[in-house]
Amino acid sequence: MIRFDQVTKRYASGHEAVHELSFELAAGEMAFVTGHSGAGKSTLLKLIALIERPTRGHVTVNGQNLHGLRRGRIPELRRGIGMVFQDHRLLMDRSVYDNVALPLIIAGLSREEIAKRVRAALDKVGLLERERAAPITLSTGEQQRVGIARAIVAKPAVLIADEPTGNLDPQLSGEIMRLFADFQQVGTTVIVASHDLPLVKRMGKRVLVLDHGRLLDDWRPGST
Amino acid sequence: MFARKPSGNRLKQAPPPRAAERAAPRRRLGFTSWRDQHLYSFFSSLGRLLARPWATALTALVMGLALALPLLFLILLDNARSLAGGWQDAREITVFLKPGADAQAGAALAGRLRTRGDVTAVKQITPEQGLEEFRAMSGFADALDVLQFNPLPQVLVVTPQETRGSEDPAVLAVLRAEKEVDLVQYDAAWRRRLGAILGLSQRSVLVLAGLLALATLLVVGNTVRLDIQSRAEEIAVMQLIGASPGFVRRPFLYTGVWYGLFSGVFALMVVYGVQWALQAPVDRLLDSYDNRFILHGLTPAAALAVPVLSAALGWLGAMLASARHLAEALPD
Repeated sequence: MIRFDQVTKRYASGHEAVHELSFELAAGEMAFVTGHSGAGKSTLLKLIALIERPTRGHVTVNGQNLHGLRRGRIPELRRGIGMVFQDHRLLMDRSVYDNVALPLIIAGLSREEIAKRVRAALDKVGLLERERAAPITLSTGEQQRVGIARAIVAKPAVLIADEPTGNLDPQLSGEIMRLFADFQQVGTTVIVASHDLPLVKRMGKRVLVLDHGRLLDDWRPGST
Repeated sequence: MFARKPSGNRLKQAPPPRAAERAAPRRRLGFTSWRDQHLYSFFSSLGRLLARPWATALTALVMGLALALPLLFLILLDNARSLAGGWQDAREITVFLKPGADAQAGAALAGRLRTRGDVTAVKQITPEQGLEEFRAMSGFADALDVLQFNPLPQVLVVTPQETRGSEDPAVLAVLRAEKEVDLVQYDAAWRRRLGAILGLSQRSVLVLAGLLALATLLVVGNTVRLDIQSRAEEIAVMQLIGASPGFVRRPFLYTGVWYGLFSGVFALMVVYGVQWALQAPVDRLLDSYDNRFILHGLTPAAALAVPVLSAALGWLGAMLASARHLAEALPD
Protein backbone atom coordinates (compact mmCIF):
# COMPACT_ATOMS: atom_id res chain seq x y z
CA MET A 1 0.00 0.00 0.00
CA ILE A 2 2.85 2.36 0.89
CA ARG A 3 6.30 1.74 -0.46
CA PHE A 4 9.49 3.80 -0.12
CA ASP A 5 12.28 3.00 -2.52
CA GLN A 6 15.69 4.56 -1.70
CA VAL A 7 13.99 7.84 -0.89
CA THR A 8 16.11 10.87 -0.09
CA LYS A 9 14.69 14.28 0.72
CA ARG A 10 17.00 17.25 0.87
CA TYR A 11 15.43 20.62 1.62
CA ALA A 12 16.48 23.80 -0.13
CA SER A 13 18.38 24.75 3.03
CA GLY A 14 20.65 21.73 2.44
CA HIS A 15 19.24 19.81 5.38
CA GLU A 16 18.76 16.14 4.51
CA ALA A 17 15.63 15.05 6.33
CA VAL A 18 15.38 11.55 4.91
CA HIS A 19 18.28 9.51 3.56
CA GLU A 20 17.87 6.52 1.23
CA LEU A 21 14.86 5.28 3.07
CA SER A 22 13.26 2.01 1.95
CA PHE A 23 10.33 0.19 3.52
CA GLU A 24 7.02 -1.27 2.57
CA LEU A 25 3.68 -1.22 4.33
CA ALA A 26 0.99 -3.69 3.29
CA ALA A 27 -2.63 -2.74 2.78
CA GLY A 28 -4.40 -2.75 6.13
CA GLU A 29 -1.13 -2.71 8.07
CA MET A 30 -0.46 -0.30 10.91
CA ALA A 31 2.94 1.13 11.70
CA PHE A 32 4.39 3.71 14.03
CA VAL A 33 7.24 5.93 12.93
CA THR A 34 9.32 7.04 15.85
CA GLY A 35 12.62 8.73 16.59
CA HIS A 36 13.88 11.92 18.20
CA SER A 37 12.66 15.23 16.88
CA GLY A 38 14.26 16.01 13.54
CA ALA A 39 14.71 12.34 12.72
CA GLY A 40 12.55 12.74 9.61
CA LYS A 41 9.18 11.47 10.86
CA SER A 42 7.17 14.42 9.57
CA THR A 43 9.02 14.46 6.28
CA LEU A 44 8.22 10.80 5.77
CA LEU A 45 4.51 11.52 6.17
CA LYS A 46 4.72 14.59 3.94
CA LEU A 47 6.24 12.50 1.18
CA ILE A 48 3.25 10.13 1.31
CA ALA A 49 0.70 12.96 0.91
CA LEU A 50 2.90 14.77 -1.64
CA ILE A 51 3.24 17.80 0.57
CA GLU A 52 6.89 17.35 -0.36
CA ARG A 53 8.44 15.61 -3.33
CA PRO A 54 11.48 13.36 -2.79
CA THR A 55 14.83 14.59 -4.06
CA ARG A 56 15.71 11.01 -5.10
CA GLY A 57 13.92 7.69 -5.04
CA HIS A 58 10.33 6.67 -5.45
CA VAL A 59 7.29 6.70 -3.21
CA THR A 60 4.38 4.46 -4.17
CA VAL A 61 0.98 4.89 -2.54
CA ASN A 62 -1.97 2.67 -3.35
CA GLY A 63 -0.13 1.21 -6.32
CA GLN A 64 0.53 4.64 -7.74
CA ASN A 65 4.09 5.87 -8.19
CA LEU A 66 3.98 9.47 -6.99
CA HIS A 67 7.02 10.36 -9.04
CA GLY A 68 5.04 10.83 -12.22
CA LEU A 69 1.99 12.33 -10.57
CA ARG A 70 1.16 15.68 -12.10
CA ARG A 71 0.44 18.62 -9.86
CA GLY A 72 -3.16 18.69 -11.02
CA ARG A 73 -3.72 15.15 -9.76
CA ILE A 74 -2.43 15.81 -6.24
CA PRO A 75 -5.86 16.78 -4.80
CA GLU A 76 -7.22 13.46 -6.02
CA LEU A 77 -4.36 11.59 -4.28
CA ARG A 78 -4.98 13.49 -1.06
CA ARG A 79 -8.68 12.67 -1.09
CA GLY A 80 -7.60 9.04 -0.74
CA ILE A 81 -5.46 9.82 2.32
CA GLY A 82 -6.81 10.81 5.73
CA MET A 83 -4.51 13.21 7.56
CA VAL A 84 -4.39 13.92 11.30
CA PHE A 85 -2.19 16.75 12.57
CA GLN A 86 -0.67 17.39 15.96
CA ASP A 87 -2.54 20.69 16.26
CA HIS A 88 -5.62 19.09 14.63
CA ARG A 89 -6.02 22.11 12.25
CA LEU A 90 -9.76 22.44 12.62
CA LEU A 91 -11.52 25.44 11.10
CA MET A 92 -12.53 27.38 14.18
CA ASP A 93 -15.26 29.41 12.50
CA ARG A 94 -17.32 26.33 11.71
CA SER A 95 -19.18 23.78 13.75
CA VAL A 96 -17.85 20.31 14.49
CA TYR A 97 -20.29 18.94 11.92
CA ASP A 98 -19.11 21.32 9.18
CA ASN A 99 -15.47 20.51 9.89
CA VAL A 100 -16.04 16.80 9.55
CA ALA A 101 -18.26 17.27 6.47
CA LEU A 102 -15.60 19.23 4.56
CA PRO A 103 -13.85 16.26 2.86
CA LEU A 104 -17.22 14.94 1.73
CA ILE A 105 -18.30 18.31 0.35
CA ILE A 106 -15.03 18.43 -1.55
CA ALA A 107 -15.66 14.90 -2.82
CA GLY A 108 -19.09 16.03 -4.01
CA LEU A 109 -21.35 13.69 -2.06
CA SER A 110 -25.06 14.32 -1.69
CA ARG A 111 -26.27 16.08 1.44
CA GLU A 112 -28.05 13.00 2.76
CA GLU A 113 -24.96 10.87 2.27
CA ILE A 114 -22.81 13.54 3.95
CA ALA A 115 -25.14 13.71 6.97
CA LYS A 116 -25.09 9.94 7.30
CA ARG A 117 -21.32 9.60 7.07
CA VAL A 118 -20.53 12.59 9.31
CA ARG A 119 -22.75 11.19 12.07
CA ALA A 120 -21.18 7.76 11.69
CA ALA A 121 -17.69 9.27 11.95
CA LEU A 122 -18.61 11.41 14.96
CA ASP A 123 -20.23 8.42 16.59
CA LYS A 124 -17.04 6.47 16.04
CA VAL A 125 -14.95 9.06 17.91
CA GLY A 126 -17.66 9.47 20.58
CA LEU A 127 -18.67 13.07 19.77
CA LEU A 128 -22.08 12.60 18.19
CA GLU A 129 -23.71 14.87 20.77
CA ARG A 130 -21.30 17.70 20.04
CA GLU A 131 -21.93 18.04 16.29
CA ARG A 132 -23.36 21.57 16.63
CA ALA A 133 -20.61 22.75 18.98
CA ALA A 134 -17.87 25.14 17.96
CA PRO A 135 -14.46 23.42 18.04
CA ILE A 136 -13.13 26.13 20.36
CA THR A 137 -15.53 24.98 23.11
CA LEU A 138 -14.12 21.44 23.06
CA SER A 139 -11.23 20.10 25.11
CA THR A 140 -7.90 19.41 23.37
CA GLY A 141 -8.61 15.68 23.34
CA GLU A 142 -12.06 16.24 21.84
CA GLN A 143 -10.65 18.58 19.21
CA GLN A 144 -8.16 15.90 18.21
CA ARG A 145 -10.99 13.38 17.94
CA VAL A 146 -12.86 15.78 15.62
CA GLY A 147 -9.67 15.98 13.56
CA ILE A 148 -9.63 12.18 13.39
CA ALA A 149 -13.31 12.07 12.41
CA ARG A 150 -12.53 14.49 9.57
CA ALA A 151 -9.62 12.31 8.46
CA ILE A 152 -11.63 9.09 8.30
CA VAL A 153 -15.06 10.39 7.19
CA ALA A 154 -14.29 9.89 3.49
CA LYS A 155 -13.14 6.31 4.24
CA PRO A 156 -9.62 6.79 2.93
CA ALA A 157 -7.48 3.76 2.17
CA VAL A 158 -4.57 5.35 4.03
CA LEU A 159 -4.61 7.22 7.33
CA ILE A 160 -1.53 9.18 8.35
CA ALA A 161 -1.10 11.00 11.65
CA ASP A 162 1.74 13.32 12.67
CA GLU A 163 2.21 13.34 16.45
CA PRO A 164 -1.54 13.05 17.08
CA THR A 165 -1.00 12.79 20.83
CA GLY A 166 1.67 15.45 21.10
CA ASN A 167 -0.55 17.76 23.15
CA LEU A 168 -2.42 15.15 25.16
CA ASP A 169 -1.93 13.55 28.57
CA PRO A 170 -0.99 9.83 28.72
CA GLN A 171 -4.51 8.54 29.29
CA LEU A 172 -5.99 10.53 26.38
CA SER A 173 -3.01 9.54 24.24
CA GLY A 174 -3.76 5.87 24.84
CA GLU A 175 -7.41 6.38 23.82
CA ILE A 176 -6.44 8.16 20.63
CA MET A 177 -3.93 5.47 19.68
CA ARG A 178 -6.50 2.74 20.27
CA LEU A 179 -8.84 4.67 17.96
CA PHE A 180 -6.21 4.42 15.23
CA ALA A 181 -5.84 0.71 15.90
CA ASP A 182 -9.63 0.40 15.43
CA PHE A 183 -9.40 1.90 11.96
CA GLN A 184 -6.70 -0.61 11.12
CA GLN A 185 -9.11 -3.32 12.21
CA VAL A 186 -11.53 -2.27 9.46
CA GLY A 187 -8.85 -2.43 6.78
CA THR A 188 -7.35 1.05 6.68
CA THR A 189 -3.59 1.33 6.28
CA VAL A 190 -2.47 3.44 9.24
CA ILE A 191 0.86 5.17 9.76
CA VAL A 192 1.41 7.25 12.90
CA ALA A 193 4.45 9.36 13.71
CA SER A 194 5.09 9.64 17.43
CA HIS A 195 8.06 10.23 19.70
CA ASP A 196 6.22 8.64 22.66
CA LEU A 197 8.19 5.39 22.61
CA PRO A 198 6.60 3.75 25.70
CA LEU A 199 3.13 4.31 24.28
CA VAL A 200 4.20 3.03 20.87
CA LYS A 201 5.67 -0.10 22.44
CA ARG A 202 2.46 -0.80 24.36
CA MET A 203 0.42 -0.76 21.16
CA GLY A 204 2.20 -3.86 19.87
CA LYS A 205 2.30 -2.72 16.22
CA ARG A 206 5.08 -2.46 13.71
CA VAL A 207 7.57 0.31 14.57
CA LEU A 208 9.91 2.09 12.17
CA VAL A 209 12.66 3.82 14.10
CA LEU A 210 14.30 6.76 12.33
CA ASP A 211 17.54 8.44 13.21
CA HIS A 212 18.87 11.38 11.22
CA GLY A 213 16.70 10.36 8.28
CA ARG A 214 17.92 6.75 8.23
CA LEU A 215 15.92 3.67 9.10
CA LEU A 216 17.54 2.43 12.31
CA ASP A 217 15.15 -0.36 13.15
CA ASP A 218 12.04 -2.02 11.67
CA TRP A 219 10.44 -3.80 14.61
CA ARG A 220 7.49 -6.10 13.98
CA PRO A 221 5.23 -7.57 16.63
CA GLY A 222 6.20 -11.18 17.33
CA SER A 223 9.87 -10.61 16.59
CA THR A 224 12.23 -10.23 19.47
CA MET B 1 -16.77 -4.22 2.99
CA PHE B 2 -14.28 -4.05 5.81
CA ALA B 3 -14.71 -7.69 6.77
CA ARG B 4 -11.43 -8.79 5.28
CA LYS B 5 -8.64 -8.97 7.82
CA PRO B 6 -5.43 -7.33 6.77
CA SER B 7 -2.52 -9.56 6.04
CA GLY B 8 1.09 -8.62 5.68
CA ASN B 9 1.99 -10.51 2.54
CA ARG B 10 -0.10 -8.83 -0.10
CA LEU B 11 2.64 -6.40 -0.82
CA LYS B 12 2.84 -6.29 -4.55
CA GLN B 13 -0.73 -6.92 -5.43
CA ALA B 14 -2.78 -4.40 -7.29
CA PRO B 15 -4.58 -2.02 -4.97
CA PRO B 16 -7.70 -3.64 -3.60
CA PRO B 17 -10.92 -2.59 -5.32
CA ARG B 18 -12.20 -0.92 -2.19
CA ALA B 19 -9.36 1.56 -2.38
CA ALA B 20 -10.61 2.84 -5.69
CA GLU B 21 -14.11 2.94 -4.38
CA ARG B 22 -13.06 4.78 -1.27
CA ALA B 23 -10.98 7.39 -2.98
CA ALA B 24 -13.11 10.42 -3.60
CA PRO B 25 -14.62 10.10 -7.07
CA ARG B 26 -13.32 13.00 -9.05
CA ARG B 27 -14.72 12.14 -12.44
CA ARG B 28 -18.01 10.92 -11.14
CA LEU B 29 -19.10 14.34 -9.97
CA GLY B 30 -22.60 14.53 -11.36
CA PHE B 31 -24.79 17.55 -11.82
CA THR B 32 -26.30 17.21 -8.35
CA SER B 33 -22.97 17.36 -6.56
CA TRP B 34 -21.78 20.12 -8.86
CA ARG B 35 -24.87 22.08 -7.93
CA ASP B 36 -24.47 21.24 -4.24
CA GLN B 37 -20.86 22.43 -4.29
CA HIS B 38 -21.88 25.69 -5.95
CA LEU B 39 -24.76 26.21 -3.54
CA TYR B 40 -22.31 25.59 -0.71
CA SER B 41 -19.87 28.23 -2.00
CA PHE B 42 -22.72 30.58 -2.90
CA PHE B 43 -24.24 30.61 0.56
CA SER B 44 -21.04 30.27 2.58
CA SER B 45 -19.55 33.31 0.80
CA LEU B 46 -22.76 35.28 1.33
CA GLY B 47 -22.89 34.27 4.99
CA ARG B 48 -19.29 35.33 5.43
CA LEU B 49 -19.99 38.75 3.92
CA LEU B 50 -23.12 39.28 6.00
CA ALA B 51 -21.26 38.24 9.13
CA ARG B 52 -19.35 41.54 8.89
CA PRO B 53 -21.99 43.84 7.42
CA TRP B 54 -20.15 47.15 7.92
CA ALA B 55 -16.97 46.13 6.15
CA THR B 56 -19.02 44.61 3.33
CA ALA B 57 -21.27 47.66 3.05
CA LEU B 58 -18.30 50.02 3.02
CA THR B 59 -16.58 48.15 0.20
CA ALA B 60 -19.81 47.91 -1.78
CA LEU B 61 -20.46 51.64 -1.24
CA VAL B 62 -17.04 52.65 -2.53
CA MET B 63 -17.52 50.45 -5.59
CA GLY B 64 -21.10 51.62 -6.02
CA LEU B 65 -20.09 55.30 -6.03
CA ALA B 66 -17.35 54.58 -8.54
CA LEU B 67 -19.96 52.96 -10.79
CA ALA B 68 -22.65 55.61 -10.18
CA LEU B 69 -20.45 58.50 -11.35
CA PRO B 70 -20.04 57.41 -14.98
CA LEU B 71 -23.69 56.34 -15.05
CA LEU B 72 -24.77 59.83 -14.01
CA PHE B 73 -22.48 61.41 -16.60
CA LEU B 74 -23.85 59.09 -19.28
CA ILE B 75 -27.42 60.09 -18.40
CA LEU B 76 -26.44 63.75 -18.43
CA LEU B 77 -24.77 63.34 -21.81
CA ASP B 78 -27.72 61.44 -23.19
CA ASN B 79 -30.03 64.31 -22.25
CA ALA B 80 -27.66 66.94 -23.57
CA ARG B 81 -27.55 65.05 -26.84
CA SER B 82 -31.31 64.90 -27.23
CA LEU B 83 -31.50 68.59 -26.36
CA ALA B 84 -28.79 69.43 -28.87
CA GLY B 85 -30.47 67.19 -31.40
CA GLY B 86 -33.44 69.57 -31.30
CA TRP B 87 -31.15 72.47 -32.06
CA GLN B 88 -29.27 70.70 -34.73
CA ASP B 89 -32.49 69.94 -36.54
CA ALA B 90 -33.07 73.67 -36.74
CA ARG B 91 -31.02 74.12 -39.90
CA GLU B 92 -32.83 77.19 -41.26
CA ILE B 93 -30.92 79.89 -43.06
CA THR B 94 -31.99 83.35 -42.11
CA VAL B 95 -31.68 85.84 -45.01
CA PHE B 96 -31.84 89.58 -44.29
CA LEU B 97 -32.58 91.66 -47.39
CA LYS B 98 -31.12 95.11 -47.95
CA PRO B 99 -33.12 97.95 -46.33
CA GLY B 100 -34.27 99.18 -49.73
CA ALA B 101 -35.87 95.92 -50.75
CA ASP B 102 -39.63 95.88 -50.35
CA ALA B 103 -42.16 93.08 -49.80
CA GLN B 104 -42.46 92.43 -53.55
CA ALA B 105 -38.73 91.92 -53.94
CA GLY B 106 -38.84 89.57 -50.98
CA ALA B 107 -41.72 87.60 -52.45
CA ALA B 108 -39.94 87.40 -55.82
CA LEU B 109 -36.80 86.00 -54.25
CA ALA B 110 -38.89 83.59 -52.15
CA GLY B 111 -40.63 82.44 -55.35
CA ARG B 112 -37.33 81.83 -57.08
CA LEU B 113 -35.98 79.92 -54.12
CA ARG B 114 -39.08 77.71 -53.92
CA THR B 115 -38.41 76.41 -57.42
CA ARG B 116 -35.03 75.02 -56.31
CA GLY B 117 -34.89 71.31 -55.61
CA ASP B 118 -32.70 71.62 -52.52
CA VAL B 119 -35.03 74.00 -50.68
CA THR B 120 -37.93 72.52 -48.74
CA ALA B 121 -39.56 75.69 -47.45
CA VAL B 122 -39.27 79.47 -47.60
CA LYS B 123 -41.02 81.71 -45.16
CA GLN B 124 -41.24 85.42 -45.67
CA ILE B 125 -41.34 87.75 -42.67
CA THR B 126 -42.25 91.30 -43.50
CA PRO B 127 -40.91 94.15 -41.32
CA GLU B 128 -44.43 94.58 -39.87
CA GLN B 129 -44.66 90.92 -38.88
CA GLY B 130 -41.14 91.11 -37.50
CA LEU B 131 -42.00 94.10 -35.38
CA GLU B 132 -45.07 92.38 -33.97
CA GLU B 133 -43.05 89.32 -33.10
CA PHE B 134 -40.38 91.44 -31.51
CA ARG B 135 -42.95 93.39 -29.53
CA ALA B 136 -44.57 90.21 -28.23
CA MET B 137 -41.32 88.44 -27.28
CA SER B 138 -38.85 91.00 -26.06
CA GLY B 139 -40.88 93.07 -23.64
CA PHE B 140 -39.60 96.22 -25.40
CA ALA B 141 -43.10 97.18 -26.51
CA ASP B 142 -42.89 100.64 -24.94
CA ALA B 143 -39.46 101.32 -26.36
CA LEU B 144 -40.61 100.25 -29.82
CA ASP B 145 -43.50 102.70 -29.69
CA VAL B 146 -40.95 105.51 -29.47
CA LEU B 147 -39.50 104.56 -32.87
CA GLN B 148 -40.49 106.82 -35.75
CA PHE B 149 -40.19 104.14 -38.39
CA ASN B 150 -39.81 100.38 -38.65
CA PRO B 151 -36.09 99.60 -38.79
CA LEU B 152 -36.54 95.93 -39.58
CA PRO B 153 -35.65 94.57 -43.02
CA GLN B 154 -37.45 91.97 -45.10
CA VAL B 155 -36.48 88.54 -43.82
CA LEU B 156 -36.66 85.14 -45.53
CA VAL B 157 -36.32 81.95 -43.52
CA VAL B 158 -35.07 79.27 -45.90
CA THR B 159 -35.13 75.59 -44.91
CA PRO B 160 -32.67 73.73 -47.12
CA GLN B 161 -32.78 70.03 -47.69
CA GLU B 162 -30.69 68.06 -45.23
CA THR B 163 -27.08 67.77 -46.32
CA ARG B 164 -24.78 64.91 -45.62
CA GLY B 165 -22.24 65.37 -42.81
CA SER B 166 -21.11 68.87 -42.05
CA GLU B 167 -21.30 70.11 -45.64
CA ASP B 168 -22.93 73.50 -46.18
CA PRO B 169 -26.04 73.45 -48.37
CA ALA B 170 -25.43 74.69 -51.93
CA VAL B 171 -28.20 77.27 -51.69
CA LEU B 172 -26.07 79.19 -49.19
CA ALA B 173 -23.64 80.36 -51.87
CA VAL B 174 -26.53 81.34 -54.15
CA LEU B 175 -28.11 83.44 -51.41
CA ARG B 176 -24.85 85.20 -50.63
CA ALA B 177 -24.51 86.10 -54.31
CA GLU B 178 -27.99 87.67 -54.54
CA LYS B 179 -27.71 91.42 -54.86
CA GLU B 180 -30.80 92.20 -52.72
CA VAL B 181 -29.36 90.17 -49.87
CA ASP B 182 -27.67 92.07 -47.08
CA LEU B 183 -26.76 89.26 -44.62
CA VAL B 184 -27.03 85.50 -44.60
CA GLN B 185 -27.03 83.93 -41.15
CA TYR B 186 -26.27 80.25 -40.96
CA ASP B 187 -24.87 78.82 -37.72
CA ALA B 188 -22.85 76.00 -39.23
CA ALA B 189 -19.70 76.70 -37.22
CA TRP B 190 -21.63 76.83 -33.99
CA ARG B 191 -23.39 73.57 -34.78
CA ARG B 192 -20.11 71.87 -35.64
CA ARG B 193 -18.62 73.11 -32.41
CA LEU B 194 -21.55 71.77 -30.43
CA GLY B 195 -21.20 68.40 -32.16
CA ALA B 196 -17.49 68.34 -31.35
CA ILE B 197 -18.15 69.23 -27.71
CA LEU B 198 -20.68 66.42 -27.42
CA GLY B 199 -18.27 63.99 -29.06
CA LEU B 200 -15.52 65.04 -26.70
CA SER B 201 -17.83 64.73 -23.70
CA GLN B 202 -18.89 61.28 -24.75
CA ARG B 203 -15.29 60.16 -25.16
CA SER B 204 -14.37 61.69 -21.79
CA VAL B 205 -17.23 59.91 -20.06
CA LEU B 206 -16.18 56.62 -21.63
CA VAL B 207 -12.58 57.11 -20.54
CA LEU B 208 -13.76 58.07 -17.05
CA ALA B 209 -16.04 55.03 -16.96
CA GLY B 210 -13.09 52.84 -17.95
CA LEU B 211 -10.90 54.31 -15.21
CA LEU B 212 -13.58 53.96 -12.56
CA ALA B 213 -14.31 50.39 -13.67
CA LEU B 214 -10.60 49.72 -13.24
CA ALA B 215 -10.78 51.26 -9.76
CA THR B 216 -13.73 48.99 -8.96
CA LEU B 217 -11.76 46.02 -10.19
CA LEU B 218 -8.85 46.97 -7.93
CA VAL B 219 -11.13 47.46 -4.92
CA VAL B 220 -12.64 43.99 -5.39
CA GLY B 221 -9.24 42.48 -6.08
CA ASN B 222 -7.73 44.03 -2.98
CA THR B 223 -10.65 43.02 -0.78
CA VAL B 224 -10.47 39.46 -2.04
CA ARG B 225 -6.69 39.48 -1.56
CA LEU B 226 -7.12 40.46 2.10
CA ASP B 227 -9.80 37.81 2.44
CA ILE B 228 -7.45 35.19 1.03
CA GLN B 229 -4.69 36.28 3.42
CA SER B 230 -6.95 36.15 6.45
CA ARG B 231 -8.10 32.68 5.48
CA ALA B 232 -4.68 31.24 4.71
CA GLU B 233 -5.04 28.51 7.33
CA GLU B 234 -8.42 27.43 5.98
CA ILE B 235 -7.05 27.37 2.43
CA ALA B 236 -4.06 25.29 3.56
CA VAL B 237 -6.32 22.78 5.33
CA MET B 238 -8.61 22.53 2.30
CA GLN B 239 -5.64 21.83 0.05
CA LEU B 240 -4.32 19.22 2.49
CA ILE B 241 -7.58 17.32 2.52
CA GLY B 242 -7.74 17.23 -1.24
CA ALA B 243 -9.71 20.25 -2.40
CA SER B 244 -9.11 21.05 -6.06
CA PRO B 245 -7.84 24.55 -6.91
CA GLY B 246 -11.29 25.27 -8.35
CA PHE B 247 -12.99 24.33 -5.11
CA VAL B 248 -10.63 26.51 -3.07
CA ARG B 249 -11.09 29.44 -5.42
CA ARG B 250 -14.86 29.23 -5.81
CA PRO B 251 -15.96 30.94 -2.57
CA PHE B 252 -13.66 33.87 -3.36
CA LEU B 253 -15.13 34.20 -6.84
CA TYR B 254 -18.60 34.22 -5.34
CA THR B 255 -17.42 36.86 -2.87
CA GLY B 256 -16.38 39.00 -5.84
CA VAL B 257 -19.74 38.44 -7.52
CA TRP B 258 -21.57 39.45 -4.35
CA TYR B 259 -19.52 42.63 -3.99
CA GLY B 260 -20.19 43.44 -7.64
CA LEU B 261 -23.90 42.80 -7.29
CA PHE B 262 -24.23 44.86 -4.11
CA SER B 263 -22.28 47.75 -5.62
CA GLY B 264 -24.36 47.61 -8.82
CA VAL B 265 -27.59 47.82 -6.83
CA PHE B 266 -26.13 50.64 -4.77
CA ALA B 267 -25.06 52.50 -7.92
CA LEU B 268 -28.63 52.25 -9.21
CA MET B 269 -29.91 53.60 -5.90
CA VAL B 270 -27.51 56.56 -6.21
CA VAL B 271 -28.62 57.23 -9.78
CA TYR B 272 -32.31 57.09 -8.92
CA GLY B 273 -31.65 59.16 -5.79
CA VAL B 274 -29.91 61.89 -7.79
CA GLN B 275 -32.70 61.81 -10.38
CA TRP B 276 -35.27 62.19 -7.64
CA ALA B 277 -33.37 65.05 -6.01
CA LEU B 278 -33.09 66.92 -9.31
CA GLN B 279 -36.59 66.19 -10.58
CA ALA B 280 -38.31 69.35 -9.29
CA PRO B 281 -35.78 71.94 -10.57
CA VAL B 282 -35.42 70.08 -13.86
CA ASP B 283 -39.17 70.08 -14.34
CA ARG B 284 -39.20 73.83 -13.77
CA LEU B 285 -36.46 74.27 -16.34
CA LEU B 286 -38.26 72.08 -18.87
CA ASP B 287 -41.50 73.98 -18.30
CA SER B 288 -39.74 77.08 -19.55
CA TYR B 289 -39.01 75.20 -22.78
CA ASP B 290 -42.75 74.50 -23.22
CA ASN B 291 -42.03 70.87 -22.33
CA ARG B 292 -40.46 70.27 -25.70
CA PHE B 293 -37.81 68.17 -23.94
CA ILE B 294 -38.25 65.37 -21.45
CA LEU B 295 -35.62 64.14 -19.05
CA HIS B 296 -34.41 60.64 -19.95
CA GLY B 297 -33.46 58.39 -17.06
CA LEU B 298 -32.01 54.88 -17.31
CA THR B 299 -34.02 52.56 -19.51
CA PRO B 300 -35.18 49.37 -17.74
CA ALA B 301 -32.74 47.35 -19.85
CA ALA B 302 -29.82 49.58 -18.82
CA ALA B 303 -30.94 49.43 -15.18
CA LEU B 304 -30.89 45.65 -15.39
CA ALA B 305 -27.52 45.61 -17.13
CA VAL B 306 -25.83 47.63 -14.35
CA PRO B 307 -25.89 44.93 -11.62
CA VAL B 308 -25.16 42.23 -14.17
CA LEU B 309 -22.09 44.07 -15.45
CA SER B 310 -20.93 45.03 -11.97
CA ALA B 311 -21.26 41.39 -10.85
CA ALA B 312 -19.14 40.38 -13.84
CA LEU B 313 -16.63 43.05 -12.85
CA GLY B 314 -16.55 41.67 -9.29
CA TRP B 315 -16.01 38.16 -10.60
CA LEU B 316 -13.14 39.34 -12.79
CA GLY B 317 -11.48 41.21 -9.90
CA ALA B 318 -11.77 38.15 -7.65
CA MET B 319 -10.46 35.93 -10.42
CA LEU B 320 -7.38 38.12 -10.90
CA ALA B 321 -6.73 38.31 -7.16
CA SER B 322 -7.10 34.59 -6.57
CA ALA B 323 -4.97 33.72 -9.58
CA ARG B 324 -2.27 35.95 -8.13
CA HIS B 325 -2.58 35.11 -4.43
CA LEU B 326 -3.88 31.57 -4.13
CA ALA B 327 -0.32 30.34 -4.33
CA GLU B 328 -1.11 26.71 -4.02
CA ALA B 329 0.63 24.66 -1.38
CA LEU B 330 1.15 21.94 -3.95
CA PRO B 331 4.68 20.92 -4.96
CA ASP B 332 5.41 21.20 -8.68
